[in-house]
Amino acid sequence: MSERFEPHILGLLCSWCAYSGADTAGVSRAQYPANIRIVRVMCSGRIDPLFVARAFEHGADGVLVAGCHPGDCHYISGNNFAQERFASFARLLDFFGIDQRRFRLDWVSGAEGARFATIVSEMTEELRALGPLNIKVTS
Amino acid sequence: MASLIEQQLRERAQALLDEGSVELFLGYRQGSRSLRVAPFAARSSSETERLVWNAACVPNLAGTLHKYAGQRIGVALKMCDAHSVIQLLRFNQIRRDELYVIGVVCHGMADAERIAATDADTITLWDPATERPTLGPDQLLDKCVSCTQPVPDLYDELLGRVATAPPETKNERLADIQMLEAMDAPTRRAFWQEQLSKCTLCYACQAACPLCFCKQCALSLERSDPRRQTRDMGAIFTYHVMRAYHLTERCTGCNECERVCPEDIPLSLITQKLEQDREQR
Ligand code: SF4
Ligand code: SF4
Ligand code: SF4
Ligand code: FES
Repeated sequence: MSERFEPHILGLLCSWCAYSGADTAGVSRAQYPANIRIVRVMCSGRIDPLFVARAFEHGADGVLVAGCHPGDCHYISGNNFAQERFASFARLLDFFGIDQRRFRLDWVSGAEGARFATIVSEMTEELRALGPLNIKVTS
Repeated sequence: MASLIEQQLRERAQALLDEGSVELFLGYRQGSRSLRVAPFAARSSSETERLVWNAACVPNLAGTLHKYAGQRIGVALKMCDAHSVIQLLRFNQIRRDELYVIGVVCHGMADAERIAATDADTITLWDPATERPTLGPDQLLDKCVSCTQPVPDLYDELLGRVATAPPETKNERLADIQMLEAMDAPTRRAFWQEQLSKCTLCYACQAACPLCFCKQCALSLERSDPRRQTRDMGAIFTYHVMRAYHLTERCTGCNECERVCPEDIPLSLITQKLEQDREQR
């Protein structure tokens, strides 16, 4: 029996909503795969697409960027900037042939522990099916 | 012997310098090889004699302007270069009141790599009667073949004339992009892996780009990192996807990046994609 592929996912989560959401998921013992590693940042507006590119460069198979729901950003409009940035960045990833399922931008509030668990589970399943990204492999 | 445009350009540059309305006049001089020119800033009326205008005046002068910040610059711009200058103005990189623009009508420039060394004389490539290069589509730069805009969008005075409007031609690159986009992601990835694996991260494309104007490039932080000096596909991928992202709103498709790439990587596919995305929004 071949071993199941376990993807590495990097989660870039805003401190005020998405990270609290992940916390809520933990506190309420929601089950989700252990494939995600989380970096907490102050706001999704702080997340430069360069962080995402670097994550892929250094071996991530998928990247999740999550912040507060539109209108709920603690710095008013950080998530609006994130949305605009990542819309054009995601188009470029796709153009370079990085499967769209490898990058996800989503919103999770502090109370939505279950939603966070669902997002991570979905992403993990999709990435398991996609297989490793292997960005460094030539030809 | 000089073409009419060349003579007029020298005269105007000389007059501007003599009357003191500009401190330098930026144009081209003959390069060290035939069919190559180099950007050249004439600072006195005698130096204007070295200015040339011919079918080899390809380099985008917009990328040179920042070197003369704070001085009153006269500059000769063709359409591509004027587009870049408009972007530089939009991003507050240069000042309009420091700039005096002589727009030059452009009917296409030579792709030096496609012209046999035997007829590599810029004089013979120029038709004095129509004031345009005597070049067929197979000798012009690709971007010039599909160009329909001979007159620059920005100028204080204009040299040259448009005798006949250029014909509408199909932009081959757009067809290439549609083909790429029709592929599934793994095939497209394989295409780019193959192309980008040639990249040596020499950064020539960035150095040549008039709109890569950052004083400290965000992608240069690790250039001293030995891991980045090897051909690491991860680093190459980051560089190209991030440069494309940074140029999303800036790139004008002047194609200097592709022209200078020593590995012949089809970077115009990326820049055309940016343009296409902007049009769709
Ligand atoms: S990316 Fe290339 S085509 Fe676009 S502005 Fe820069 S040099 Fe010109
Ligand atoms: S690659 Fe990006 S950060 Fe670097 S000079 Fe170009 S636009 Fe600026
Ligand atoms: S000029 Fe070509 S080889 Fe050099 S960094 Fe750009 S794409 Fe790579
Ligand atoms: S603080 Fe959460 S997205 Fe701005």
